[in-house]
Amino acid sequence: MDFPQIPILKATRTTAFLLLLSMQVYGQKVVRYNLYVKDTTVNFTGTPKRAIAVNGQIPMPTLTFTEGDTAEIYVHNELNEETSLHWHGLFLPNKYDGVPNLTQMPIKPHTTHLYRFPIIQHGTHWYHSHTELQEQIGMYGSMILNKKKEPAIPTVPIVLSEWTDMNPKNVHRMLHNASDWFAIKKGATQSYSEAVGHGYFKTKVGNEWKRMTAMDVSDVYYDRFLINGKNESQLSQFKPGDQVRLRISNGGASTYFWLTYAGGKMTVVANDGNDVEPVEVDRLIIAVSETYDVIITIPATTAGSPPVSYEFLATSEDRTKSASLYLGEGVRQLASPLPRLKYFEGMKMMNGMMKMNGDLDDMGMNMSLNQMDMNVVMYPEITEALKSKKKRTGKAMDMGDMKMDDLEKADGNQHAGHNMYNSNAMSSITTLNYAMLKSPVSTSLAKDAPVKELRFVLTGNMNRYVWSLDNKVISECDKILIKKGENVRMVIYNNSMMRHPMHLHGHDFRVLNGHGANAPMKNIIDIMPMETDTLEFAATESGDWFFHCHILYHMMSGMGAVFSYENSPANPEIPNPRLAQRKLFADDREFHFMAENDIATNGNDGEAMLQNTRWSIGSEWRLGYNDHHGYEVETHLGRYIGKMQWLMPFIGFDWRYRKMEMDEVETNLFGQRNTKDQRSVFSAGVNYVLPMLVTAQAEIFTDGNLRFQLERMDIPVSRRLRMNLMVNTDKEYMAALRYIFTRYVGATAHYDSDMGFGVGLTLNY
Amino acid sequence: MLLLLSTVLAYADIKNVTTEQVKIAGSCAQCKEGIETAAFEKNISRAIWDKETKVATISYDTKKTSLDAILKKIALAGYDNKRYLAPDNAYAKLGECCRYERIGKNDLAVQKEMTGHDHNTASKESEEKVISADPDPLKPVLDAYYEVKDALVSSDGNAAAAKATNLVKALKAVKMDELGSDQHMVWMKVMKDLNFDAEHIEETKDLGHQRDHFSSLSENMYKLIKSAKPTQPIYYQHCPMAKEGKGANWLSQVSAIKNPYYGAQMLNCGKTTKTLK
Repeated sequence: MDFPQIPILKATRTTAFLLLLSMQVYGQKVVRYNLYVKDTTVNFTGTPKRAIAVNGQIPMPTLTFTEGDTAEIYVHNELNEETSLHWHGLFLPNKYDGVPNLTQMPIKPHTTHLYRFPIIQHGTHWYHSHTELQEQIGMYGSMILNKKKEPAIPTVPIVLSEWTDMNPKNVHRMLHNASDWFAIKKGATQSYSEAVGHGYFKTKVGNEWKRMTAMDVSDVYYDRFLINGKNESQLSQFKPGDQVRLRISNGGASTYFWLTYAGGKMTVVANDGNDVEPVEVDRLIIAVSETYDVIITIPATTAGSPPVSYEFLATSEDRTKSASLYLGEGVRQLASPLPRLKYFEGMKMMNGMMKMNGDLDDMGMNMSLNQMDMNVVMYPEITEALKSKKKRTGKAMDMGDMKMDDLEKADGNQHAGHNMYNSNAMSSITTLNYAMLKSPVSTSLAKDAPVKELRFVLTGNMNRYVWSLDNKVISECDKILIKKGENVRMVIYNNSMMRHPMHLHGHDFRVLNGHGANAPMKNIIDIMPMETDTLEFAATESGDWFFHCHILYHMMSGMGAVFSYENSPANPEIPNPRLAQRKLFADDREFHFMAENDIATNGNDGEAMLQNTRWSIGSEWRLGYNDHHGYEVETHLGRYIGKMQWLMPFIGFDWRYRKMEMDEVETNLFGQRNTKDQRSVFSAGVNYVLPMLVTAQAEIFTDGNLRFQLERMDIPVSRRLRMNLMVNTDKEYMAALRYIFTRYVGATAHYDSDMGFGVGLTLNY
Repeated sequence: MLLLLSTVLAYADIKNVTTEQVKIAGSCAQCKEGIETAAFEKNISRAIWDKETKVATISYDTKKTSLDAILKKIALAGYDNKRYLAPDNAYAKLGECCRYERIGKNDLAVQKEMTGHDHNTASKESEEKVISADPDPLKPVLDAYYEVKDALVSSDGNAAAAKATNLVKALKAVKMDELGSDQHMVWMKVMKDLNFDAEHIEETKDLGHQRDHFSSLSENMYKLIKSAKPTQPIYYQHCPMAKEGKGANWLSQVSAIKNPYYGAQMLNCGKTTKTLK
């Protein structure tokens, strides 16, 4: 194998030693691992960066157990910060589930924590840190639970992940401040000039009219994608004709991966650690934190011809980059790279689905189980043939161009309604979806148990990066109480613009997908926008179990809830539940800071803001270089209201000083005298985001003055050029153009009614 | 000398330069352009490929890239080399003149052909056998028709035109005296129209136009074929949406629906209305 295996060997040796010891004591096999969590420096891109390694490696070592073993895992925290480890997909006692401040207290720096639990299942699983953003910088690894008798076929554990040179805390902060730096890096700005160039001007206007910014399938730009910690690697031990079982876990923090194989079709044999009836596909998308077992075949060659190795390709969903694993030896047969996304087609699709109030409208398509993928409009490999045909046939009925209002008419027509986004019907490429998964055994729940039905709506707000369940973040919602012995049925509808991989700790749920008693068992379900999925599980445990979106930055923003068994015994790992809860809630209550300052020839202006899920404290300043230009600082404290957070009432304080000429008097549009020359007043007002993303602001000051203002910031003119416009009833107006050089530096040219024309250097954080 | 000078000048802008000679598959001037474009990155790498020797002289900045990375790019553009084999669809996208013979891929390619188009090979084999045993005079016509249909399924106007040429030939080659009496009657009625539609498909690369003719071609083919018992099952299939809602039919050698009127857009639209066997 190409990836580091020395620590695994070492661990096995320890295991063997302990095994002898424990055999006599317990009469059962105890498998012990020691995990040393330590700061390290990695270099994926040419720049050394901080990461966290366990036993000196990224990904963390593969932990292997056999059903019936007892796992004893000692975690030695050698970091200068807290940590934790969660055993993803495992059935275990609640106190060993590894969620800090929920099932245990965080593992303090330079202490050791023991996780000890029986292995009562088999399958491909994985483990990762559940503390803050540590998963992003190396804390993920495979966890393979073997059956007592595994089929004799070579097996390779595979962990997919991604790397960014940015500090993940900074990534998180930038996401919350609606920075479009990641879009610039991806080439996905979707600016007006690009829209015009591709003939999508109307689409772009429609998009902004519905108060949406550039659309994308993922939020973060990554520098590298990794298979077992490497961008490219080869497993040359395999020979032509060999079958290999890949046990794949997606340990990426926020990346879905397309999996394709150059040597032909792949056979999916298990999902989330549970066997499924084998199904042959050309490709599949693996959601964040899902696992799949896939059997691939190295094609046989005829005698005499040179050996060939075949590429197993993992491409990020945004298709910016990929990672490759070559199976076999010899010249490398490449898989077809996935062509870039057609973002404006996606934007057009979103426009059609988005109602003016920010809700999504599925046009009665009853979407579920990834069968219809709206994103298909962006996949050239599926829809390119359509495009070229459009030009030739002209008037022939054209689904791609069909207006959304026409769809309902066409809905009676089976062909249109069903095939429109069904990539398997539209092309000869077979893509896996959840409806194709079938358990080989009956997974029915006890018929006589009481049923508790829970309904969730996945909600979110891309502009402010708020992600929630039923418009409540973790700290805002009560625990969801369930009783041992009942069957819990969950109906989940995604009313947000992004897909979400929802994960339930400590339980597998049945995904009701039309296979009746043979519904597949999973612990992650990816729910695309507008999809509704129905899941059910038997409540057999006790304690508190986390249910959350597994996109790390969505979870940290508060997208989750806690399932709590009624009358559970107190968890000995949580000595002070109130303190633990406060610490748990701190994650999504966190304030994010942003600041911007333009040092221009005519003055110095900028703003700074602290914001969290609901609150915003912001200050704007304009500082001239002389008394005539004046100085002003406006500070607002506001609270965002409603699901879309378009409304924000606020209170403020306004301080200005400007020296005016004698007899010079300024009045506003209402004829009120202005007191700009020297004033400090309190105010109350309200912000509202209008279509086209224009912020309307009405403000009344304690001196009786009224002000009404319209402002539009960051109009994407071209890939790196942004325009700001502002006008208000104090007869002030402003227009600015900003060119973005780097993440933190830009150049601005602006005209301001108070300070005149100026050019300057903009610094933003 | 001049060549040497120009080469020196060309490399002047690449720093830390290393030059290596690598054999790269290709066959014509179009390949040369494709290979050199794929290998080119300003101030970092460039290649000069010789059509005769098939050897590329690749120069690159060793600090910025590697031979491996360049060869991968060349393979992704469709050209096999010693480290990488091109993805099949990248090779398929190469121009006609550039379809070099794939070494090391041959066995594979043949294998794929067998599995991918087994009906073609199978029918060709049976054709040979059939001729000696029980000659079906319309067999070549039907096979040529299927090839046109398959080209339309993949929305490939060029291929449809090319396959239609074969169809026209096959229609001309039919020996009327070998037809049964019923079939002979039908043949006399539809022969002209069959020729007319086949020639029109041959003459254009416009898919819309081809599909219009394919629809009437299919009607007449059906009339012709159903007048005698076919040697292999034939599926008469219908898509209600074709021709702007008027609907259209086609014949297929397989029961699964692959719609020739919409191609990828609505590949599975339609149903089998009759099975002839």
